[in-house]
Amino acid sequence: MTMFHFFNCAILTFGPHAVYYSATPLSEYDTLGTSVKAALVYLGTALVKLVCLATFLQVSENDGFDPYQELLKALIGFIDVAGLYFALTQLTHRNISQNHKFQAVGLGWAFADSVLHRLAPLWMGARGLEFTWEYILQGLEANANLVLSISLAALASLIWLRKNKPKTLIPIIYACAGIVATMPSITSYLRRGLGWYFPKVVGFELFTSLVMAFISWQLFSACQRPSA
Amino acid sequence: MAFSKNSGAGHRGLQESMYSVISLVFILVACVELCDAAAALNVYRLIQYDMSGSAFGSRFAALNHHAASLHFPSGADLSRTVLIIPLSELNITFVREYINQKKPLGGLLFLLPEVFNSGNGGNKQVHEKEKLKNLLAELERLLIHANLPYPVYFAFENDEIDTVLADIKKNDAIGQPATATTGGYKLVIPTPEPKKVASPTITNIQGWLSGLKADGDTNQLPTIAIVASYDTFGAAPALSVGSDSNGSGIVALLEIARLFSLLYSNPKTRGKYNLLFGLTSGGPYNYNGTQKWLRSFDQRLRESIDYAICLNSIGGSWDNELWIHVSKPPENAYIKQIFEGFSNVAEELDIKVGLKHKKINISNPRVAWEHEQFSRLRVTAATLSEIPVAPELLESTGGLFDSRQFVNETVITRGVKLVAESLARHIYGHQGKNVQIFADGGSLAVNPAYVQSWLDLLSRTPRVAPFLSKNDPFVMSLKKELADHTDEVNLQHETLEGMFTFYDSTSAILNIYQVASVTFDLLLLLALGSYLIVLFCFLVITTRGLDDLISLFRRPPSRKVKTA
Repeated sequence: MTMFHFFNCAILTFGPHAVYYSATPLSEYDTLGTSVKAALVYLGTALVKLVCLATFLQVSENDGFDPYQELLKALIGFIDVAGLYFALTQLTHRNISQNHKFQAVGLGWAFADSVLHRLAPLWMGARGLEFTWEYILQGLEANANLVLSISLAALASLIWLRKNKPKTLIPIIYACAGIVATMPSITSYLRRGLGWYFPKVVGFELFTSLVMAFISWQLFSACQRPSA
Repeated sequence: MAFSKNSGAGHRGLQESMYSVISLVFILVACVELCDAAAALNVYRLIQYDMSGSAFGSRFAALNHHAASLHFPSGADLSRTVLIIPLSELNITFVREYINQKKPLGGLLFLLPEVFNSGNGGNKQVHEKEKLKNLLAELERLLIHANLPYPVYFAFENDEIDTVLADIKKNDAIGQPATATTGGYKLVIPTPEPKKVASPTITNIQGWLSGLKADGDTNQLPTIAIVASYDTFGAAPALSVGSDSNGSGIVALLEIARLFSLLYSNPKTRGKYNLLFGLTSGGPYNYNGTQKWLRSFDQRLRESIDYAICLNSIGGSWDNELWIHVSKPPENAYIKQIFEGFSNVAEELDIKVGLKHKKINISNPRVAWEHEQFSRLRVTAATLSEIPVAPELLESTGGLFDSRQFVNETVITRGVKLVAESLARHIYGHQGKNVQIFADGGSLAVNPAYVQSWLDLLSRTPRVAPFLSKNDPFVMSLKKELADHTDEVNLQHETLEGMFTFYDSTSAILNIYQVASVTFDLLLLLALGSYLIVLFCFLVITTRGLDDLISLFRRPPSRKVKTA
């Protein structure tokens, strides 16, 4: 029965990635290679981030919110963005349209993030007899993360790959990208500084991910109009 | 975790930063608690033994069932449920009925109040404590003599288990007892099947204090023996500390040994009697150990024993009345002498001493008092006890209810004084005279701190003989203590033969899990499946268009048309 629960949480955490890949035209254009490369870039980025965090950050005894530490963490979080830049621009992709490129990169990115952050706790914890809501919430968080990663990839591709953007939209694009990139800091502030409980934080993440996805979709289609 | 492997492979040189990296991983990544139980507590199993081939006690140890309280809906099937019963809510007739009618049950868990845990007073009134004590004694008697084909455990109440039990009661009241389909609490004890204890040893400890032999006297000095049995038997062997039966006896014996060793250390005050101190094992089993100890004696030694005093339970709050139990008729000169000696001292100490005579039946293997083993070998002996009537087999042997709370050290101190004074007056020939050898405040006064510290130690040490190994640290400490007070100490190791066989696995750790029902998992699967299907359709519609979605479903019908 407990493997059943593990199976449920696993399909909640990793299912949407597979569904996204198969439902959208990504599967028709065989962009799996791009996703895999993006996942590997994420892995490298995560290692670099860890080394930086280990070198620059101090471990605090209490679980409170230290603004200076959080600021440092946010700065190091921008290494994420650098990694995404690398994945989008430097990797050689086969001839796939920009539309699909950012989706594939975002998907690979989110999948790697889910696997690295959530698979081990899921394997350790969800198989036990004791029941908690923890892993279902973690799965919902993975879903929100997927949406956020794709929006970030979309905005990043707008910033670096598209040359002719309407001038008025550029600051909005940068602002939205900034918000999405600092989302981890925002959620940790909510959890530690304001003391929100996990379900509330996950709800907030889901909500903001949908909002940001909608905004970036609008921005993307707005930028597409001149060239179309 | 995948992280540490890759970090280790890639950054072998940065050993220190690697450790901080790993610790940071645990801080930054959402910290997942890896403990997997709602509560874990120490539980102690009901004893499992065979007596003359018949099985008694709880025959199983492993447990893996759902929990229910006493408020279960009537008629519910409890064959895969564990009943959690706190002592305060125990209805003894209900349990007796359940056991006698052999109704199927998954297991029993009794919760004992903290007052029975040695050292903790709890905040209950004396009257309440007495009631609980009697209830527990009755429950113990019922369980020891029953054959239960399911695991039975005892545990002490604490906050965790109280909240769990309250939750279970709430669920039961709604009418949803825990089963596999409705969720609830699951109790798991993962122990292997209990095995027989192979050749259990009983160890007798004896200490010898030599008396003063006049030069040129070749005759053997007479001996006085003081004996107490130190092992216990109770419903939960891991909790059978027997503070009164026979912790009080052991403490009294050690204190008497200490006092007489002070007297005998100086040749001027050494008496003309040898003193033999015996700490025997195998008490609950018809004083098997005492019998073997006596049989090992030299014939001359046995004949030189003037009389033996056995100490058994002198520490409860007896109402100033002690009994001397004998098996020789009271008209016997020796018995008269002993009794008079004790009565005289008792009068001075404001204690009443009564004489009880119980004939021995040689054909009956039941030995109710320790002195009967002496009497069977024609040695004069008596037992000093607060118990007025001879106990049945496996009764008054230091069970669950016999905890530190119900023993009084001042009472034991008075008992020690009684025995020591009576012995000393006999040894030094001061019968009838009003001489206080062990007067309070003198150097030979009974030491209450000594009594208290040994009593506390005994109340923390379970002493069921089959579970005490040959070199058990407690037995060794008793030997060392007796060696401090006597000239010569000997250990005698024997096997507990005869009608008793014991099984191990006396304590375990109980894990309580809060589990979700199977229906919950199925519903969750259904919800997730529909979510993924909806997501799939949504994505297909938004990225490829509605036609694509319909085209996905159009092929199967066309196939059907073809085959038809």
